[in-house]
Order: sequence, then C-alpha cells, then structure tokens
Amino acid sequence: MTYREQYAPGPASGAQIRKDGEKWTLILVRELRHSPEKVWQALTDPAHLHEWAPFDADGSLGTVGNTVKLTTVGAPAPHVTETKVTRADAPRVLEYKWGDFEMRWELEPIVGGTRLTLWTNIGHRFIAMGAAGWHICFDVLDHLLGGIPIGRIVGPEAMKFGWQRLNAEYAKQFGIEAPNWPPKAGQAL
Amino acid sequence: MKIKLTSVYVDDQNKALRFYTEVLGFAKKTDFSQGPYRWLTVASPEEPEGTELQLALNNNPAAKAYQQAMFQQGQPAAMFFTDDIKGDYERIKARGAEFTMPPTDVTASIIAMLKDT
Repeated sequence: MTYREQYAPGPASGAQIRKDGEKWTLILVRELRHSPEKVWQALTDPAHLHEWAPFDADGSLGTVGNTVKLTTVGAPAPHVTETKVTRADAPRVLEYKWGDFEMRWELEPIVGGTRLTLWTNIGHRFIAMGAAGWHICFDVLDHLLGGIPIGRIVGPEAMKFGWQRLNAEYAKQFGIEAPNWPPKAGQAL
Repeated sequence: MKIKLTSVYVDDQNKALRFYTEVLGFAKKTDFSQGPYRWLTVASPEEPEGTELQLALNNNPAAKAYQQAMFQQGQPAAMFFTDDIKGDYERIKARGAEFTMPPTDVTASIIAMLKDT
C-alpha cells in the first residue's frame, strides 16, 4: 500500500468560526513539526502549492504586489481568479485573496516547529465544507513537509478520503446544520 | 444518457437564486462550494428530480461576452414549459419581473419572454 492509500484524516479539530455582522471567518490552526521558513515556502512556491493546496498558482505568492492567477483544482468548470499579494512578511504573515475570500496566513515559531493559522472568510453555508477541505489539505501539507508527499487530495478526490465525515463533524462543532453532500436521491441540499 | 441539466450565466449567484426561487418559483436543488467556485442549481417543485438549471457565475470573459451578446440581441438564455402560461405570466409579473413579450401565439406554441434581472 502506498502512503496515499494508507492516509485517513483524524477527527475534526483545530477549527473555529467567527461571525462579524454578515461576515463569517473560518479560523484553522495546525501545528507542524517544521520550521516557519519551510512552511512559508510550501505556502508561496507554486511547485509546492501544487502538491497540497486546493488551487494552483502561476507565480509566487511570496512577494508583496505580485499578481498571481489562482486556478481552483477539481471544480466542475475551470475557475480562475486573479489575486494580488497584499502582505508577505516572510516567514510570518501572508495575505492575498482567493476569489472573494480573504486569506490570511500566520506562521508562529513554536518549540519544534510552526503553529500555522489560516483566517479565511467563507460563506456561512459552506464553512464546514471549507474546514473539512482544509483539514485534508493540511494533512497532505504535513506529509509533504515531512518528505513523504502523498499527492494533493482536493475536489472529488477528497470524497474518497473521509471528507464527508469531517464535513459532518465540523458542522456539529460549529453548531450549524450539516450540509447534505453528496445529496441523497430525492433530497435537495 | 439523459438531458438532466442546463446552465444559465448570472452576474451574482445569490441574486439569481432569489429571482429563480422567489420570483419564478423554482426550488434550490444543489448548492455546493469548492473554494470560490459555487455549484448552484434549481429545479421545478413540480418535478424535483427533473432537469436542473445551473446558475453559473459569469466570471470568465467568454461567459460574460456570450451572456451580454445574447441579452442585447433578445435571445432567450433558457426556456421553460408551463401548462398555464397566462396564470404564470400574471403571477410572475405580480412579483416584479419585467416581461419583454407577453404571452404570444407562435408556431406550435404560446410563448412569453422575461428578463431575469
């Protein structure tokens, strides 16, 4: 069995949501046993992003002012959005937008590694889906940083790796109705 | 193989969803997001498992150009069938939709046309 086949996500953890008026923010925290410099590279270098992130970038996200096209991976139709890196304080804080979502990454050095925090605003309906998706992406990132890349798991691939369970668990933790996905026959979302 | 789905391009998916449900009377069927991408469809409450209409965001130049050119030339973006065109015409008009053509006899049918904005 390959490392990828053996992979199964752990229980939902490390996520919270914040509501500010109509704006919802998903906050995800993950501790990684790697230096902030190494994590920074994985967050900004297109070749590294290609191994774990839910989008491809056509340029570095590590330079402030850079205009980068982000292509959502695994969407039913090609979905490309252009972004401008608004903050890139290597290896601490990174800010840009993914579509309409603000993305703020913070890398905090801790004993033995990095505490990575992502703030992203996401529609309320989709906040558990987003948490589940990022959970799996962060697991894949962790493997990549550890020198055992298992390959990106996003979009329909995530459904083969426990995404639905995570989606339901995060919905429960957030106290929101679990989105029914994929919809069962005869049931609308 | 079946014809299960067709698409219409929209500027704003939330606004479109309101129009297609509250004004036209369709029901939301599937609403799924992957990052900034949102898959959103409606279906008829008379036929919940029937053909779905995808409200696709026009966030690419081809979609925008196509949508605008079709609109400017008065070409329909989507067509629906009803057993009661007069009733539906009055009902939808009363909810604020703007018809560019009231129910009109054409070959083999009666049609009406409205703006989905």
